[in-house]
Amino acid sequence: METSYETIIIGGGVVGSSIAYHLSERKKEGILVLDQKFPLSGTSGSTQAWVWVHNKTPSWYAEFNMYSAELYPYLSKKIGDVEYKRTGGLSPFFNEADREKALLLAEAYKKIGIKIKVLSREEALEKEPSLNPEVAGATYSSIDGNVNPFRLVDMYMRAAKKNGVQYSTYNKVTEIQKLPGKFIVSSRKGTFVCNNLILAGGTWSRELGKLVDISIPVNQLRGQILVTEPLKPFLHYTISGLRQAFNGEVLIGYSMEEEGFNRATTLDVIQETANMAVHYVPQLKKAKVVRAFSGIRAMPEDGFPILGNIPGIENLYVAATHSGVTLSPLIGTLMTELILDGETSIPIDRYSISRFDLAIR
Amino acid sequence: MDKTMIICRCEEISYEEIEEVISNGAKRFDDIKRMTRCGMGPCQSKICNSLVATIIHEKTGIPIHEIPLPRMRMPISPIKLETLATNSTSFSSVKSVLDEVELEDGKVR
Repeated sequence: METSYETIIIGGGVVGSSIAYHLSERKKEGILVLDQKFPLSGTSGSTQAWVWVHNKTPSWYAEFNMYSAELYPYLSKKIGDVEYKRTGGLSPFFNEADREKALLLAEAYKKIGIKIKVLSREEALEKEPSLNPEVAGATYSSIDGNVNPFRLVDMYMRAAKKNGVQYSTYNKVTEIQKLPGKFIVSSRKGTFVCNNLILAGGTWSRELGKLVDISIPVNQLRGQILVTEPLKPFLHYTISGLRQAFNGEVLIGYSMEEEGFNRATTLDVIQETANMAVHYVPQLKKAKVVRAFSGIRAMPEDGFPILGNIPGIENLYVAATHSGVTLSPLIGTLMTELILDGETSIPIDRYSISRFDLAIR
Repeated sequence: MDKTMIICRCEEISYEEIEEVISNGAKRFDDIKRMTRCGMGPCQSKICNSLVATIIHEKTGIPIHEIPLPRMRMPISPIKLETLATNSTSFSSVKSVLDEVELEDGKVR
């Protein structure tokens, strides 16, 4: 393997691989992706992979997610079938207080072009007859959907490799040295030199930041998910909490726990998740659970993406975010624009790392 | 082994498909699992475990005893959701999306 690259991306998950692919679309030579394990072994491979827009707040963040969701059909055409399905998204609610909230949400989002309908009980049941008849209503938006995360990352990787991107896996970065005009990246399998360096380590961003003496405030959040045996297709929409995959499995889960990197599954949360499933869709009672898994999600301290260059260190970039599956097509596009053109087609100033305290030393 | 031989019966994954992801850098059962769904079916790799280890060994030279076992997940054998459910409707770590919508002065932030 060569040792000199134009751009090195640390992290081969959904965000890192999307940047690698989008960059390679325009500039084919000199891109290396380093991954400490193998892509999909972390967050990207342990998610329900909703492409979700419609009840993220504030509205400017929902808008950012919407632009990314809109890119999905084109992405599928470019890199191949990633089992993306724009099903529309339903968030059922069971009490009237949530209807008030839902109406406020719909009103606020009308201004930015995200159409949210607040459905009555009857309308919700008409759309999704399997919902619990006790449902009070639901919010609905047509832009939401889901994707197969394994296919997505695999196809990003394949398309990137086809464009000349090199991947070096099981290769943890141990040291980063900043010299004038270049970075020297030491890893388990050797030392590489590059002009541009992109930190896309997701949950591991804090650790990566320390290697360049900056603080990237990304925390970990554990989510536990149940998977059923394949059932005949019966869920029409992506429901906030569960969705049915192409192969018929239903994935259930919407838990959040601060447990660091502990990826265990625990019976209490599994039971709550099972409760949620039968509360939302009672007929799932008889469905068999094939397995439970958990994933560690990246969660920036204030919840919003950390994107762009790092002030004070030329050619050093960061891309760390929650909702990486939803945002990956847009983040890949914008980071490519930033690196090659120096500006982005959609402003990302508000996602700059400069909103946090940068110094750790 | 024959290229078309089915290694994972639950998900119908052939020798050839596993060989291909190993050539793309996969080294462990779990890498292969995520890339192909081999071992992700109802048996949770009880049948294909040793077959896949043999293929990894053949293709990469890694000694069999150094190849990590696939991550087994609860429940080890499929059980009905209602067996796990306790019918409680109060949740602590499980949320709904609307819980996350933040209001400020009676308006969506």
